[in-house]
Amino acid sequence: MYRPRDWAAAGVPKAVPPKPILAAKRRRQLHPFFFNMGPVALSVASVLLISLMAILYLTQLGQAVADNQRLQDLHRQQAILQRQNQDLVDIIAQEQSPAYIAEHAKSLGLVPADPKTVQVLVVRHLKPIPSHNQSINP
Amino acid sequence: MSTELQRARTRQMLIFLLVCFGMLVLLGRLYYWQVLRSQYLAQLANGEHVQNQILNAPRGLIYDAQGRILATNVVRDDVYIEPIQFAIDHPDNFQEALAAVISALHQVLSGVSVGQLSKNFSLNVQTVRIAVDIEPWQSQQLRELRLPDTFLEPRTWRIYPGESLAAQVLGYVMQDENNNRGVYGIEGQYNTLLAGKPGSFTAETDLNGNPLIVGASAEQLAVSGADLTLTIDSSVEYMVQKALVNAIQQLQAVSGSVVVINARTGAVVAMAGAPSFDPNLYSDYAGQMGCLGSEEVFFNPALYCAYEPGSTMKAITMAAALDQGLITPDTTLYDPGYIGFSDAPTVVNWNGLGYGTETMTEVLEHSANVGAAYVAHDILGPDRYYPYLARFGFGKPSSIDGPEASGSYRKLGSPGWTPSDLTRQAFGQSILATPIQMAMAYEAIANGGVMMQPYLVASVNNNGSVVTTQPRVERRVISAKAAQLLTEMLVHAATDGYAHPALVPGYSIAAKTGTATTQGVSTDKTEASVAGFIPASNPQFVILVKIDRPQATIYGGTAAAPLWKAIAQQLMWYYQIPPDQAYQQGS
Repeated sequence: MYRPRDWAAAGVPKAVPPKPILAAKRRRQLHPFFFNMGPVALSVASVLLISLMAILYLTQLGQAVADNQRLQDLHRQQAILQRQNQDLVDIIAQEQSPAYIAEHAKSLGLVPADPKTVQVLVVRHLKPIPSHNQSINP
Repeated sequence: MSTELQRARTRQMLIFLLVCFGMLVLLGRLYYWQVLRSQYLAQLANGEHVQNQILNAPRGLIYDAQGRILATNVVRDDVYIEPIQFAIDHPDNFQEALAAVISALHQVLSGVSVGQLSKNFSLNVQTVRIAVDIEPWQSQQLRELRLPDTFLEPRTWRIYPGESLAAQVLGYVMQDENNNRGVYGIEGQYNTLLAGKPGSFTAETDLNGNPLIVGASAEQLAVSGADLTLTIDSSVEYMVQKALVNAIQQLQAVSGSVVVINARTGAVVAMAGAPSFDPNLYSDYAGQMGCLGSEEVFFNPALYCAYEPGSTMKAITMAAALDQGLITPDTTLYDPGYIGFSDAPTVVNWNGLGYGTETMTEVLEHSANVGAAYVAHDILGPDRYYPYLARFGFGKPSSIDGPEASGSYRKLGSPGWTPSDLTRQAFGQSILATPIQMAMAYEAIANGGVMMQPYLVASVNNNGSVVTTQPRVERRVISAKAAQLLTEMLVHAATDGYAHPALVPGYSIAAKTGTATTQGVSTDKTEASVAGFIPASNPQFVILVKIDRPQATIYGGTAAAPLWKAIAQQLMWYYQIPPDQAYQQGS
């Protein structure tokens, strides 16, 4: 039979093995980042973290979808307003047209001027007031 | 090893091999779909989820000289139905649902009959267009109704608020399914500038086809078309068009045209033709002819309808001789009513009258063919006459904005030319000129002998970058002295000659009438015209009036001159140009 060497008799200092419980504990421990965490705790923490991230992602996605919808609504509104604007421009252009003005002048009882009834008064040395409509410059 | 164990191990191996085989098959399929068919599948997926939209560029607007809109754009909806989808969506109550939808559609779109709607719904196609260009209130009602399998498709339309105002100057935009393009006039000439450049927008879409901001997207913005401002004044154009139409009706004429030009700059203030058309309804005018039946009504007669100018040409003949110092306004000739040439047929005065000894000024007053032919044939000769026709711009386009006819005449060296051409061209026969050419010839006289480049577009605003057309000198045609002398002669032609009906109270005018016949056509079918400018002392406007085949009276002085006077008078009032002569009330 073999038996452990008698270290004491050999004069070699005997190493003190770590206590079994502590060693076992240390073997089970993990070191994620900077703190100690057991596997169960780590699993729970991971699940919680992933859930949180998922919730955050879904919230952002929901926000983006809602914003997208709002953006589409705004684009639709913009298109409608643009159309209305164009229609108004068209109406203004029609009402500024000489034919429209002449028609309405007629309906108000106005008649085209007869040259024979027009009197031209020539005032010598008259200084005209400057007009804002300077575009009429033959 | 026992037999049982061996069998168990064999079965185990078999199952293992089967599983491996299955995995291999799956891997193979995976490789097939993920690698070999990946592009195809990606294309399919993109086709479902990625939308590529063309962004149409808004067409540029066209303004008149006062900033009023002549051409603009509006969006109107077309109405579509989906007959096949409607049948699929209503398998049980098809007839009831159909009746309800048709009733609702007909209430809004009263122009589409119930029968037509029923017919459209019975078609075996995906989509059918049932109405085009509906009014905004109809679009609003249809949206509120939310009818099944019915949708609106917006389309941009070109609108001309003034209707037929300056129609032949503007042209129109042909509304095509895929592409709108300008044809005729300014719309055709400047189509590329007005159309702009379309853009594109590519993005992932949701179930409803709306682009997603969270997805990948790429956008190229559309470039709006440039806005054009014309030299045309709407008010003057309207007045001219209306007066021309009235004159043609009263004179029972076939057609006519008027050109009004700024005498100093060459800007076209008004350019009218009759008959004309409404560019909002251009398809209704297909096949209608103008220019005495030679061109479609869409062509601008001022640029395309070449005609024999008649006696208005006598001013050009005199200009050539005056400029070369060969005559003066007081140079005389003996006019017995006819003149014979050794190499050309005898020329007679239009009225058969002889005037005895008359000055060159009186030649214009009397509108004497004899005097004009004498100057061209005996004084100028072909070598000294034809260069002036070229300098006055005859026989070639005026280079105004847009295509035009060039007119024509035979000259020395041309095939078939004879001295008869020279004698006849002196009084405006055997030569074809467009109204714009004639107007610009008189513009050169009015502008001290300098011809300006005529133009219609005053400025181009290309997305904020504005380019303004500057008046440009084309060339000096005659000396200032010759222009001054000729102007005085034309003033006499107006006051003492056949242009007397064109006189405007309070203003001096320089004008010449013309009554041209066409070879091969009856002599009572004329082209009556007046060309001139006002005020003669400080010319502001050149006006050319041409009436084709008037019946009530055939002469320039009686047919065209009253219209010329009416237009000139309105111009003086509109632009507040003070009279340059003593005003006689009631004249």
